[in-house]
Parts: sequence; C-alpha cells; structure tokens
Amino acid sequence: MGDIFAWLISFFILIALLVLVTYQLMCLADLEFDYINPYESSSRINKVVLPEFITHGVLCCFYLITGHWIMSLFAAPYLYFNVRLYRERKHLIDVTEIFNLLSWEKKQRLVKLFYLIFTLFFSVFWMIYTSVDD
Amino acid sequence: MGTENPSRPSFPARPTSSPFAAPTMTPFSSTGPASGSDPTSFRPTPPAPPPQTSTPFSLSGGPVARPGLPSFRPGPPGRFNDPSVPPPPSPATFNVPPPGGPFQHYQAQQFSTTAPQAPPPRASSMMGQPPFQHPVNQAPAFPTSLPPQSHAPFVPMGSPPPGATPAPLGSNGPPSVYQPSFPGYARQQPGTEMQAPPPMHSSLTANQGNYGSVPPAASSPFLSHQGQGGYVPSPPMAAPLGIHPAQQQLGSGPPIGSTQGLAEVFSSLTMQTRPGTMDTLFDAKELPRPLDGDVEPNNLADMYTANCHPRFLRLTTNAIPSSQSLASRWHLPLGAVVCPLAEPPEGEEIPIVSFAPASVVRCRRCRTYVNPYMTFTEGGRKYRCNVCTLLNDVPSEYYAQLDATGKRVDLNQRPELTKGTVEFVAPAEYMVRPPMPPVYFFLIDVSISAVRSGMIEVMAQTIKSCLDELPGFPRTQIGFATFDSTIHFYNMKSSLTQPQMLVVSDLEDIFIPLPDDLLVNLSESRNVVETFLDSLPSMFQDNVNLESAFGPALKAAFLVMSQLGGKLLIFQNSLPSLGIGRLKLRGDDSRVYGTDKEHGLRLPEDPFYKQMAAEFSKYQISANVYAFSDKYTDIASLGTLAKYTAGQVYYYPAFQSAIHGEKLRYELRRDLTRETAWEAVMRIRCAKGVRFTTYHGNFMLRSTDLLALPAVDSDKAFAMQLSLEETLLTTQTQYFQVALLYTASCGERRIRVHTMAVPVVTDLGEMYRLADTGAIVSLFSRLAIEKTLSQKLEDARSAVQLRIVKALKEYRNLYAVQHRLGNRMIYPESLKFLPLYGLALCRSTPLRGGYGDAPVDERCAAGHTMMTVPIKTLLKLLYPSLIRVDEYLLKASVQADDLKSIERRIPLSGENLDSRGLYIYDDGFRFILWFGRVISPDIAKKLLGADFAAELSKATLSEHDNEMSRRLITVLEKLRSSDRAYYQLCYLVRQGEQPREGFLLLANLVEDQMGGNSGYADWMIQISRQVQQS
Repeated sequence: MGDIFAWLISFFILIALLVLVTYQLMCLADLEFDYINPYESSSRINKVVLPEFITHGVLCCFYLITGHWIMSLFAAPYLYFNVRLYRERKHLIDVTEIFNLLSWEKKQRLVKLFYLIFTLFFSVFWMIYTSVDD
Repeated sequence: MGTENPSRPSFPARPTSSPFAAPTMTPFSSTGPASGSDPTSFRPTPPAPPPQTSTPFSLSGGPVARPGLPSFRPGPPGRFNDPSVPPPPSPATFNVPPPGGPFQHYQAQQFSTTAPQAPPPRASSMMGQPPFQHPVNQAPAFPTSLPPQSHAPFVPMGSPPPGATPAPLGSNGPPSVYQPSFPGYARQQPGTEMQAPPPMHSSLTANQGNYGSVPPAASSPFLSHQGQGGYVPSPPMAAPLGIHPAQQQLGSGPPIGSTQGLAEVFSSLTMQTRPGTMDTLFDAKELPRPLDGDVEPNNLADMYTANCHPRFLRLTTNAIPSSQSLASRWHLPLGAVVCPLAEPPEGEEIPIVSFAPASVVRCRRCRTYVNPYMTFTEGGRKYRCNVCTLLNDVPSEYYAQLDATGKRVDLNQRPELTKGTVEFVAPAEYMVRPPMPPVYFFLIDVSISAVRSGMIEVMAQTIKSCLDELPGFPRTQIGFATFDSTIHFYNMKSSLTQPQMLVVSDLEDIFIPLPDDLLVNLSESRNVVETFLDSLPSMFQDNVNLESAFGPALKAAFLVMSQLGGKLLIFQNSLPSLGIGRLKLRGDDSRVYGTDKEHGLRLPEDPFYKQMAAEFSKYQISANVYAFSDKYTDIASLGTLAKYTAGQVYYYPAFQSAIHGEKLRYELRRDLTRETAWEAVMRIRCAKGVRFTTYHGNFMLRSTDLLALPAVDSDKAFAMQLSLEETLLTTQTQYFQVALLYTASCGERRIRVHTMAVPVVTDLGEMYRLADTGAIVSLFSRLAIEKTLSQKLEDARSAVQLRIVKALKEYRNLYAVQHRLGNRMIYPESLKFLPLYGLALCRSTPLRGGYGDAPVDERCAAGHTMMTVPIKTLLKLLYPSLIRVDEYLLKASVQADDLKSIERRIPLSGENLDSRGLYIYDDGFRFILWFGRVISPDIAKKLLGADFAAELSKATLSEHDNEMSRRLITVLEKLRSSDRAYYQLCYLVRQGEQPREGFLLLANLVEDQMGGNSGYADWMIQISRQVQQS
C-alpha cells in the first residue's frame, strides 16, 4: 500500500517538474517570437530555475528513501547535470547573452522535458503495476 | 622550417633533380624578381654591391641556366612552375657560387643532398603531396626536357630581356622582367593574370633600397654577411635578388626561379624551392601587402547605383549565394559590417526627409522603408516592395504621377528614391517617450592614485573646455559624482553659487540624497558647473583614501540617470575594493595560461557587472570606461559595462598627466563633442530566405534582431552574420536595409536608412571575386575575440588559420581541374591580403602569444576596442603603416606635395629599417618614432633638443625652433588627421634600446618572425601547405 503512495507522490512531483520546465520553455519561445523582452523573460525563468533544481533533488532523494533505487539511479544524471550547472554558476539565464544562448537553453530544456516525460511514464507504469499487484 | 637541414624527410620531393635544380634555379632567380627569396643565398656571398651579386650568378649561371630553363618548360609536362627538370650541369652550379661562406655551404648541400633529389617543385614538395611521386615523375621528364632546352630558355626569359639568360640575371630589373615573363611563359591569357603581379611589383619597388637594414635574426648564417656594408642600400635592381625576409629561411639554397605561367581569374604565388635545402618558400617580395590601407570595394557601384556608400555597410562578399549548399562551401564568414553613423567626407551631407504630417512610407508587410529599389506601378498609385514583392498602396500624400518611362515625376525632389542613404524624420509613433536631451554624467574616482596620476586635473580642464561644444545646447544635462570609500554627490542647482557636496557613506543601501539637482541643465547651471570643475582638482588633492567603492557608486549613478538615460563616463583608477562589485586581484596568473581556465581571466569576474550593464541598456544609459591604473584593474569586468551599452573602453596604463595628458584630453574631447545618436535601436532587414543570425560588437540585443544602442556615434561599427533559411533563393537580387532609429542631439527623432542591393549568384567563384577582405577581417577579428572569452588564445588563433585554409582550399578546388596549379598557392584577387591580415590578427594584442606577451588588462582593452572600431581603423591597427621620414626632413626645400612622399608605406619588417633612418610607425592609436642607431646626430638633436642623448623613454617630442622639428610636427599632424577617432601619442625609441624597442616596435612588425610567431613568409607556407593537403 505504501508503495502506491510513494508512486503517487512521485507522480505529482514529476508533474510539478514538468510544469516548471514547460513554463521555462514557453518563456523562451515567447522571447524568440518577440512577445516579451529579454529582461522579463530571463527574470521569469530565473525565478523558477532553483525551485526546479530543488524539486528534482527532492524527487531523487525520495526515490532513494522509498527504496526505488533504480528510479533514483535513473534520475541521477539529471541531478548531476543540475548540480554541475549550479556549481559553474551557469544555471541562471544571462540576460545580456540570452539571444546567443537561446538555442542551447532551449535544447537543454527540451531534453529535460523528454527525460521527465519518460520518467513519468515509468513511474505511472510502476504505480499501476503495484496497484494491480496488490 | 629548418632552414639548412638538407636531410629533412619532407623534401624528398625534390630529390632527383636537385643537382639540376640548383642550376635551374639560378637562371630563374636572375630572371625573375620572384626569386628574390633565393637571393638570400646570394647576398651573403658577395659582399659586393647587389648588382654584382647578381652578376656572379649570371655568369656562372649563364651557361648552366640555359639548359636549365628549357628543361623547365617542357620538362614537367603539366607544371609550369616546376623548376623540376633542370638539366644536369651540376658542376656549373658549383662554380657559380663564388666566395661567400654561406654559399659554399649551400653548394655543398646541394650536391650532397640535393643531387639525389629531384628538382623541387617548389610548392609541391612542401605541400605534403606525396613527395616521392614527384621526383619519380620528374625524373623521366629529365631526359626529355633536355632537348627542348635550347629553345625553351628564350621563351620564358625572352619576353623581358633578350632570351639570353645571363642578361636577365644581372642587368634586368628583376621585378619588371619577371612578371611580364609570365604571359609569355605559359600560353594562357595574360590579361587576367597580370593583376596579381602589379601589386607585387609595387611592393617590390617599395622594398628596394630598404634592404640595407639589418636582417632579422633568423637568418643567422647570413647575418655576418649582411653586416658588411655592401648590401645595405641596395639598388633597386639588386635588391630583389639579394635581399629578402624570406631568405632567412632559405639559408643555404640558391634561388630558384619561381614563375607560374597561368593567366587566370585568380592570383597566385609560386613557391620556390631552394635546392640546397628541402625548404620551399615564397618570395617575400612577391607577397601581397596592403600598403594602400583599406580599399573600399566599389564593384557594385555600376550595377546598383543607388546603393549606400560602403563606409556605412559592407558585406563580406557582394554576392549572396543562391543555395545553402553553395553557402556551406563559402568557409569565410557570410555577413555584414555596419557603421551606421560613419562620417561622410567634408561637404557631403545626408539628405533629411520629412513626410510630415503623414507617416514614413514603409512596406505594410515587411516594414521596409521606402528606397530607390521600390518600383511604382499603376500610374503611381501602387508600389511594389523590393524586399517582399508585396504591392502596397501609395499614401495619398505621397502620390505622384509616373512619367512616360515609368518614373515618378517628382523623382528629383525625392532623395529617398535616388539615394542609398537618407534620414527620415520620425513622427510620434516612433517614440515611446519624448526625445531625451543629451545627458552626460561623470563618475570620477578621487582616491589617492587618481589624484597622484594627475588624471583629475586633466579631466576637469578638458570637460570645462568642452562645455560650449557639448551637443544639444540648450537642452544638455550634466552631472557629477565622485567616489573613494564614500560617494560624493554635487548639488548644482542653478540658484547656488557654489556646488554643494553631499556625502553618502552607506554603501550597502545606496540612495540619492537629492531627488533633483544632481543632474542639471548645463545652460542654466553653467556657472556652478564651471566652479565645480575649477575646484575639483584642489578639492581632493590631499585625499589619502585608497579604497574604491566603485560598485555602489555605479549604482548611485544609475539611480541618478535612470530617469533620462544618457552617457555615463566612468573614470576609474584602481581596482574596485568596496561594496558590491568589488573585485579580487586575480591578476595575470601565468599558471592559468594554456589550461581550460585561461579564458576566465578575460571574463567578468562578478555577475554584478553584467547585471548593471543590462540595466543600463534598459534605461538607455551608455557607459564609457576610462581606466588609468598602473596596476591590475580588471578591465575584463569593467569593460563589460561598455560592451553591452554600446560604450567604449579607453585604457591608459600607468597614466601620467605629463605623458598621456594630451591623449586623454583629445579622446575625452572627442567623446564629448562628437555627434551622438541617443537612445537608438538598429535593425538590419533582408528579404525572405536570408536571416541575420548572430551579431558581434558592443550592444545588447533587445529581441532576436534588434540592437539596443543607448548612445552610438561615428566611431562604432557592428558586425553580423547571416545564414540562408531556404535551400534555394529564387530572386536575382537580395536587398539589405539597415535602419537606425535614434534621437538626434537636437531632440529630433530620426531614422537613418541605408539600403543596399547585391546580386544573388550561383557560382562560388563569383562570391570569391566579389569578396571584401576588410569586412571579412573585421568579422574574423570579432569572432576570434569572442572565442578568447570561452577558449584558449591558441584555439582562437588556430580557428582563424583554419578558416583561411578552408576558404583557400575550396577556392583551389574550383580551379584545380581546369588549370595546372602545381605548387602555386592561388587566391582570388579580392582576398590577396586575407592571409596577411589573418597573421596580423593572430599577432594582435588580444590574441598574441600567451602569458607575458601582453598584460591581461591590455588584452581585454584592445579586445574591446577591436570589437567596436570600423573596418578602416581595424585594418590600420592590424597592419600599421611604417613610413620613413628622415629623407623628407633633410630635404632642402619642401613643396606642398612633398608630404605625399611621406605617405609611401613600407612593408612591416625589420629588414626595411635602415639604421640611418628615422621611421614613424602608425597604427592609428599611437606613433612610434624609431631612431636608427647611426642616425645623424644632427637630426636627433634638432628633433629632440637637449634630450637627444638621454634615454628616449623619458624624452617627449615637442616642437623646437627649427625647420626640421616643425616639419616633423606637420607630418605627425597630417597623419593624425587621417583618423580623428583616437589620438596618437608619440613614443620615441632608439634602435637597440631593449626591451622597449622589442615590445613597442619589433613585436609589432608582423612580417617578421618573433618569438613563437611565424613571419609572413612562413605563415604563407604553412597556409599553402595546409591548403594543398587533401
């Protein structure tokens, strides 16, 4: 039973992450099409970057604590990437260079997005699997 | 390349014929000036005057040569160039080289090493073509070649001098002879080919006479010889033969005649092989040099008469590729360099057009401004946009009938329909707020180092003297703040008689003590401002404060200015040490160079500076940074402020008012008084299918293609690269339109529009033909400097080289099939200077060497400068002019046009410095006066006055009461007048005065080998080898 709850919680955390990443992507897309200016875009994105990192860290720990170490391992590269960005102080968007980095920022977030969707798929699968098993 | 090492593996190419080669070469050398390089070998031999030198050759060579020559042509079936097949008479060769030690040396080499080798196809061997094959092929050629010899000699040589080989050798001026020989030689169309030669000739001639100067260290073997008096001022004729930079490498080899016979659409350089060694080289005299400075391309002027002048907009190639596949074969940058406010020459004005009360006429879909390429139809009621081909209605206010030829009847009154550059008066919809007045805010460091350097005094005086000339009277606003460990504001309210000083010492939470009156209208508060400027130097003369609260002061300035925007002039004399934005003394750590962290030194350390810059740009503030410190000030961080706000960095290392005062005075004055465009944005439009993707320069992007320029003036240029979005362009012509929307100092909102049409081509050769070296170099340098911000210097340099190689390789492939290129290095006439500028770029301050070659602050400052300057200034900085003046100074009487002789530039190589001469080196930012070691004391005395015997590092140049001194000052003034953006301070240096001479002048002689840098000839060989590697 506890397992189902664990999967359920991870499901919601993943949804939250998806929302955060999608929001950043939308800001970037808006910027590209000139709907908002770079100052606004970068400040909006920068506001949610750390929450995203922390949420993902929490998710990773959560998997570990609940004993789903395979999922935890699966989330590790993402976490490592985030930590590295943070330590190099490159996690925030630089408003002065935002247009030069636009393609890289977008690519990076798209990859994250697919990664999360994949994780979500796994997590849903396990959730159903456990519930059926019970 | 090892000069003398005969046994090099690479050489094998030449092997077989080597014995021959030697002989062959000789004839050639004599004939062709081309062989100039070889001359090196000559030089040493006969200490005697140059002509003589040649003679020995000719004599000996005469007989030998003939056989050789013939062999030449017929010999290698395909190759014109290849000297490969020279006939056997090796003994003859021997005889030839008479006395010189080096000579013998060489001979020996030849025989021993060369003999087995085939005659070196000059270039090919080097190029890394399978060396062995060559010999093989050639070898067979040998026998065959011999017979033809007899007549052959005539042909090649024939054209110029009588066929007789000997004659050409000694007597004929090699330069002239040589070139003409080409056409005859090869059975190609002479016409085209000739292009190439002319430049060479000119350079040759220029060189002549100068040779006497000391040979570069490299040529050690020769040195001794050269030292001998004979050579020094070699007569023109001899010069080519005898002396050459390239020779250094040549070391031992006898000269090999270089010639290529082809006449094609391209220019080429032939590699020569020196028989004695395995090296191949280019004749240094033949190498193209931009001695005329920047030449603006004019090749579209006939086709598109309404294009804007190239001083405003230059494309890297005036032909847009029609397809992506074609664009991908163009390895050079594809883009444009824009200098929107370039100063028109005296008497030329840009027409100002007002559509009031209607709005500006623009295409409804693509927003292109009305321009000469729009076509009016339907009796003048509609016009077709040239960019997007949309049919627009002509606004009723703008309507005019068409005449019989389909032109508007009012065409002559409409400059916007005939001229490529116009200014529109922008109506209210182009304003987000009322046009701002010109605002100048000064943020001045008054800590002890600033006081001691005398900077404050010079600055205050200059500002005061400029008050009348600040643009925008009577709306101009001005304000001041000073800082050390606290921040001082000045209340300049017009009702006061004395400025009131307000001190803020809370650095954590910055506030402005007064809401108004810190920034005041100049015309109202003129007296207070003057009083302030008068008292400023004395106010802080006893200040002993060491600290610098730069970051907080910057924030304070931002608060004061954020209402209006404007220009912020920052005078900073030490490393920011207090409050936010304080910087560490990260200095110039030699251990960091060559590692992956190297680029970090060139990046801003604290994100605060980037954030501030972004805020500045948002509020229309442009920051100009004046840095004066003799210690590390972290220009990398401070410069960021200028970088994103369209500002400029002025760096005066170790500022001393006595020495650098004049420079600061001039440049500050220029900064304050030049015409400035305020709160500007710039966009470059082009038709569908093409898009500008990256932008390079000092600005901030406000959207994907909109450059925000809080203040911009004639000294700033911006570069951008474009890419093709569609696989195939269907149009015949591509249009570019640069629009700069700005507020003029007078308070009028204006749009400056430059329009340019260029053809779309399907042929890569055409792109090369219409290439513009200046624009390419400008983009190259910006890309390279940006690269140093994320990678090692080494990587940035090799990237430049790689792109040049790729481009030339692609070009070579274009012609490799139809023409026999042999060992020649070919390049389009339009890009003949590209390799040299590439070399100069790699040796420029921001990119050169590693630790120790330039302090990191100077690198960054130079980098910031090179990111902004227009093409002309950049090219001059990369390849400065070197001018000999002593002859002019000594002339008995001066006519007006004598000054012209001063303008004759000399190639930038140490060989051209005569130790009896006085030279001016002018890179647009400074003058270096080089006094030869044995310059007549009379000149030195007259020019320097009592200082002449002293250390020149302490001496300054001032006018003395004699004709010569006055003339020199006139010359300097004349040179200064050619570029008014910067003041060229005079540095004096005497030959042999180390280390000053080294870093002031010798390191900047880009054609010479220096430290780890290659010289011009070496560089060309490297490039040529890489190009020919497949």
